[in-house]
Amino acid sequence: MTATEAEAETDSAVVGEETYADGTLVRDPDIEESLSQDEYDPKGTLALLLVYFLILALMWTYMYFVEFLGNGATVIG
Amino acid sequence: MSTPGETAGETVDSAREMLPDNSFLIQYPHVSRVVRSLFLTAFVAFGIGAFMGVLQALHRTGVARLVDSADYYTLLTLHGVLLVIVFTIFFLAGVFAWANTRSLDRPPVSKRFTWFWVATMSVGTAMAGIAILAGLIPSTDISADVLFTFYAPLQAHPIFYIGLAVFIIGTWLAGIDWFRQYLAWRRENAGERIPLQSFMVLTTMLMWFIATMGVAVEVVVFLIPWSLGIMPAPNPLLTRTLFWFFGHPVVYFWLMPAYLLWYTVLPKIAGGRLFSDPLARVVFVLFLLLSTPVGIHHQYVDPGIAEGFKFIAMTNTMFLLLPSLLTAFTVVASIEHGARQRGGTGYFGWLKALPWRDPAFTGMALAGLMFAAGGFSGMINAGMNINYLVHNTIWVPGHFHLTVGTAVALTFMAASYWLVPRITGRKLYSRPIGLFQVVLWFIGMVFMSAAMHRGGLAGIPRRTAEPQYPQVTFETVAGSVSSLRLQLAFGGVLLFVSALLFLMNVGLTAMNNKPARNLDSALPPALSGPDQSPTVLDNLKLWALIAVVLVILAYSLPLYSIVQGAGLYPAGQEASPAVIAPLLEVIA
Repeated sequence: MTATEAEAETDSAVVGEETYADGTLVRDPDIEESLSQDEYDPKGTLALLLVYFLILALMWTYMYFVEFLGNGATVIG
Repeated sequence: MSTPGETAGETVDSAREMLPDNSFLIQYPHVSRVVRSLFLTAFVAFGIGAFMGVLQALHRTGVARLVDSADYYTLLTLHGVLLVIVFTIFFLAGVFAWANTRSLDRPPVSKRFTWFWVATMSVGTAMAGIAILAGLIPSTDISADVLFTFYAPLQAHPIFYIGLAVFIIGTWLAGIDWFRQYLAWRRENAGERIPLQSFMVLTTMLMWFIATMGVAVEVVVFLIPWSLGIMPAPNPLLTRTLFWFFGHPVVYFWLMPAYLLWYTVLPKIAGGRLFSDPLARVVFVLFLLLSTPVGIHHQYVDPGIAEGFKFIAMTNTMFLLLPSLLTAFTVVASIEHGARQRGGTGYFGWLKALPWRDPAFTGMALAGLMFAAGGFSGMINAGMNINYLVHNTIWVPGHFHLTVGTAVALTFMAASYWLVPRITGRKLYSRPIGLFQVVLWFIGMVFMSAAMHRGGLAGIPRRTAEPQYPQVTFETVAGSVSSLRLQLAFGGVLLFVSALLFLMNVGLTAMNNKPARNLDSALPPALSGPDQSPTVLDNLKLWALIAVVLVILAYSLPLYSIVQGAGLYPAGQEASPAVIAPLLEVIA
């Protein structure tokens, strides 16, 4: 396995029969298209991560209103 | 993983001949046996721990109190130790044994040594487990109701601490075994990049060696002599600090095997390739560097540690978000690559092209999604000022049920559906049940964890058998406390049902007479391979050295200050519960 991992095969050569854990076929070779590093632009990942950061920002804002303005001073030290 | 009857054995044996030559089981039958043995212990612990979990969920919400409240802490200790020490670490040891062997393409150096560490871990686990369980039998005078967070002044029977020490030694020996395997590979492959999975195993174990120094000193120097009655009670703050020295990096010890599976197995299952091998290496190096010098963030409310030291721990902790966010990008980009190779299009439409019918994929994807939510509540915990709002409330268990309880546990369950057929040669018993099971876990955790977080914001305490007080009214932001209790109990029941389904499915797989097919063990190479990363990333000695320096910087002054403040053995400390006194009376 060393060869596959350590050698940098930047061209996609990974096409073939893939199976579910129980042995049934997952990928249909007919619709398979092989995408190399240059051909692939992870714009869907960008979209998902932007959604995540938006949720984070909204939750931080929500927390500010509920926990700080909603309660008295928090005594520290 | 028992062998079925003779006829069935023949069926599977003949079926093994149908496995491709590069199947892990065919190439490494001995390592497969080691992995099966480790998984068996992990799954037994998982079953018992999950049962303790549902008992607590029903008990503390008042839905059904099947045990005495006085025994609650015994159940809580069992739940914590069996799930976050035994289940996780035995399972990850199995994953690491598989991954190191597979990616180095060579077996461990000595079979006898491998079985020796498996036995050492098992004996330690049995000792600690017996000490905890004996707490349910008052006549034994043995108990260990000290929770997973075992520090003074709570005291357990010496068997518990000695068992823990033996277990930790077992994990060190396992790490040594994997390093010997790597060094043997290195002698024949000078100048080669370390194969990715092996790199992940080795960096994780280096982190573990450093992290366990804290708990080793705590247990061997302080807790064992104290529980034996040889030495007086140690400084509680010192043992707490030594515990959390280990107690935070241990969460990355659980998480990094899950990351290994997300980085190397999940892209394959999704039909794609890892987006970037260099990014994966950077992430594991960052975890090695940053996991340990952060433990004081668990002690924000501890008096006796200066605020400045806590601030440094907070800063380090926030840096730890970096590798997790890098992971979010790399893993999602890798599965998106799979989706696009399978014909997926659009900004979100590609999600439909993923193999959602596969429990291994769906379980890991849902685990990752839950981890994103856990990341948010983790940021709250890590912030010094906001932490005061949620400290010691049920928010905190709500948080770690998202991280270790789902990101890790659900990934391990999902990976089992992929890995168990590969180490047994047997077909997965039922894919639909597996799919239902991982989704049920996700839904159960949404109910339970959300209720815990919201309960924590209302001030409901954690680690409490009966958090119902006539003189206190908890005020929730939305909804009522009684509805939160019901949601928590309902979620807990769903999780327990899911755990049972998992154990049943895996158990029946282990006894399945139908052979697994087409289980090749090759993983696709990364889109951006290791040649595109600087070779310094593979310099493990350098990273280990920097990690040690960071730990010294973060911990030397706080530890010095703690020892200067109250000494190693402050006067007037008493054990609770005092388990050693009756034992000494018996001896006298």
